[in-house]
Amino acid sequence: MGEKKKVVPFWGCMMPLKYPQMELAIRRTLPNIGIEIVDVDGFTCCPDPIYFKARDKMKWLTIAARNLAVAEEIGLDVITMCSGCISTLKEAQYLLDEDPKLKDEINKKLKKIDKEYKGTVSVKHAVVMIRDELGIDVVKKSLKKSLEGIKVGIHYGCHLLKPSQIMHVDDADYPNILEDLVMAIGATPVYQKESLLCCGKGCMDADIPLEMTEAIFVAIEESGADCMGLICPTCFSSFDLGQLMIARKKGKTFNIPVIYIFQLLGLAQGLTAEEVGLHKHRIKADKVLEKIV
Amino acid sequence: MSKKKITVDFRFRDKLNKVQGGKHHNYCYQCSACVAVCPAARFTKNFNPRIILLKALLGMEEELIGENSAIWLCTNCYSCYERCPQDVRPIEVIISLKNMAVERRTAPPNLTKLSENIGKTGVSVTVTSAVRRMRQELGLPELKDIPIEELQTILGEQEPQIFQEEEKNDK
Ligand code: SF4
Ligand code: SF4
Repeated sequence: MGEKKKVVPFWGCMMPLKYPQMELAIRRTLPNIGIEIVDVDGFTCCPDPIYFKARDKMKWLTIAARNLAVAEEIGLDVITMCSGCISTLKEAQYLLDEDPKLKDEINKKLKKIDKEYKGTVSVKHAVVMIRDELGIDVVKKSLKKSLEGIKVGIHYGCHLLKPSQIMHVDDADYPNILEDLVMAIGATPVYQKESLLCCGKGCMDADIPLEMTEAIFVAIEESGADCMGLICPTCFSSFDLGQLMIARKKGKTFNIPVIYIFQLLGLAQGLTAEEVGLHKHRIKADKVLEKIV
Repeated sequence: MSKKKITVDFRFRDKLNKVQGGKHHNYCYQCSACVAVCPAARFTKNFNPRIILLKALLGMEEELIGENSAIWLCTNCYSCYERCPQDVRPIEVIISLKNMAVERRTAPPNLTKLSENIGKTGVSVTVTSAVRRMRQELGLPELKDIPIEELQTILGEQEPQIFQEEEKNDK
């Protein structure tokens, strides 16, 4: 493989501070498909598009604009691996670019620390960069093991796709991007009818989020999938730990392993379960691992 | 036809117009397209984005930003933003209303806990020694320092810098 594409990762909080196994999978797999990760100083929380934004939208926008300004100074493309981070950064860019007055107002605040949001940086989710800039074939070329026959129930969640006028990723009702990636990895994507349903995490109610998660796992079970393949760390907390909570509160056991798409890629690239951090999950993936040859 | 008078509180609507994203409430024509795709509406009768927009159009302040408002049941899924033919961006209007509720101090107490870390430490998740150990065990690099002072400068306020909380959630 020739020159690697240098990109700056925007890690956010969930991956490095709650689910470092996801960060591990990214660090292990991206170099194998021609991406060089260039860590930089200066980022903060994106900030979180649910609770912090509910508290104060203008502060939310100010912090996001600062992160974008930091990225612009570096001059490399930025990737995020978290659906929450990409949601915040893309929406902030959209709002600042659509409203010059708002941009001026925010830039006045950034001026206090000698920063400015100009609107020149490209921020993409890693899966989008792989599809659009490297081409899905780089994934196929990086494989060492066969995941043939492993059925992956795909879960999109919300923020990777919606709103499509901002995210520019795929058809928000009939997306393909994750199915295509899972096929390139060599596994079999299976349709589950709640693949676009929200995990419910943002809903400030004691019962509704659990009901949503339950509906999703009923669908995964019906689909006959061996595991769930997902893309969002917030979904992950609802689904991995969430299955234990459903078992405790509702007496229903699913026991379906929840695997981040890049962990799946790592397994196909010949990494062990530990090397992609699968041993840190509550629901163990042994049955999936047995099928890898 | 009933002769019941409908009053509209335009003062409240003016206030909503001034909150970032609030202005789009004016464009709602009550078509219910958002309701059809809303997961919160699917799972509870107590939540309906069209009705929230209707209440916004009528300026029903108490209902919207008083205690126990239904706005907090929104899951933040963006389906309504995707679907709305009028660019109301219902979720954004709901978040603007949440900002107003925070100002009135009627937001659920849980929200403070879930959102206060960022102003204090620059990250949303509490950094525990358990996670530092786990990173080490996985062979991941040390966590970077967060430029919290820069953050506090642009936020324009002194949020108390209390780092002793660091180990609190540590298990
Ligand atoms: S917010 Fe949009 S989709 Fe919902 S009722 Fe109003 S116009 Fe229709
Ligand atoms: S963002 Fe909120 S109001 Fe909009 S569809 Fe999702 S749950 Fe419903």
